[in-house]
Amino acid sequence: MNIARTLFISVFLILFLVSCAAKNNRSMVVVLLPGSDGKTGQIVVSNKGGSRLISKPEQAIEIRSANVAPSEPFTMNIEKIRDDFGEALSALPSPPIHFILYFHTGTSIITEESRKLLAKILPEIASRKTMEVSVVGHTDTEGTRKMNQKLGMERAMEIKNLLVSQGIDPRIIEVTSHGEGNLLVKTPDGVPEPRNRRVEVILR
Amino acid sequence: MKILIGIVTSLCLLYPFIVNASDSPVGNVKTLKGTASIIRNKTPLEAKSGSELFQNDSLKTGADGSISVVFKDDTLISIGPNSELLINEFSFSPAEGKFSFVARLLKGTSAYVSGIIGKLSPQNVRFETPVANIGIRGTKFAVKLDGDDEVIR
Repeated sequence: MNIARTLFISVFLILFLVSCAAKNNRSMVVVLLPGSDGKTGQIVVSNKGGSRLISKPEQAIEIRSANVAPSEPFTMNIEKIRDDFGEALSALPSPPIHFILYFHTGTSIITEESRKLLAKILPEIASRKTMEVSVVGHTDTEGTRKMNQKLGMERAMEIKNLLVSQGIDPRIIEVTSHGEGNLLVKTPDGVPEPRNRRVEVILR
Repeated sequence: MKILIGIVTSLCLLYPFIVNASDSPVGNVKTLKGTASIIRNKTPLEAKSGSELFQNDSLKTGADGSISVVFKDDTLISIGPNSELLINEFSFSPAEGKFSFVARLLKGTSAYVSGIIGKLSPQNVRFETPVANIGIRGTKFAVKLDGDDEVIR
């Protein structure tokens, strides 16, 4: 145990000395990873030296200083990723779960199908030790922006009341409206679209 | 003089509304391990699972620590041991079309998973470090920073 501790401390001391030696010479490594849906996005790394885009899983870039262009992309193996980023990666929480409930046009009346889905949300809230339930109202682009902001709020309040009536603590529920500003299906203004008339319930 | 008093009074009355934007929480601490704290106005605060975070807060960990945050737009960020991350900017108001997310890693390691801001307005998402900025067009990455600590000014 003592040996392990001494070793541990010396490793830190060495890292500390190395970092002192590298004064004003900071460096960085960034690695792109697939998301929980298996898809990989893109990142652009840039500084005074230039910029570079990576778009493949496990692709990495090294940056030697703020003035030197980012390196050529290279593939980082899983062991190296685990060594360098393991603790940060394992600390990442699982992504929040989204449930989408749909409404009849121009109203805060929930569809029959969505009413059934609502029943499935309740046990999920308990089992995930949910810290916060976000209830967000949305509308399609029919009607004015202002009206839709209000309608989104009415829809969200309707769902909040249903959740509270089922025993969910109102203190963990946060209600907001995105109105027509966060469409699920992109449409021009003034287009009726059932899939945009919704409340998203997000368990965080 | 009366005018001056009038101006001062109205500013005082308006103050809560002016500062309101940066006054609402931007996310919550989800998990933490070992030594981990929130730094607000240069003062370290005890962090717990569920602690609220605000714009300009920093997260800081010791040699045995890690901490993770879920933001209001579902963005996830964690930092590993001996790390420090500043939440520079966060606004998420789709109804008004206002989006921004700027975080700065000052030292150590961090992992990031983009949220709704990243989907709706990727041009307003930036992850900074002392040596480079990362523009994000979706999903997940991890960063490691070596070298001197940067001092928060």
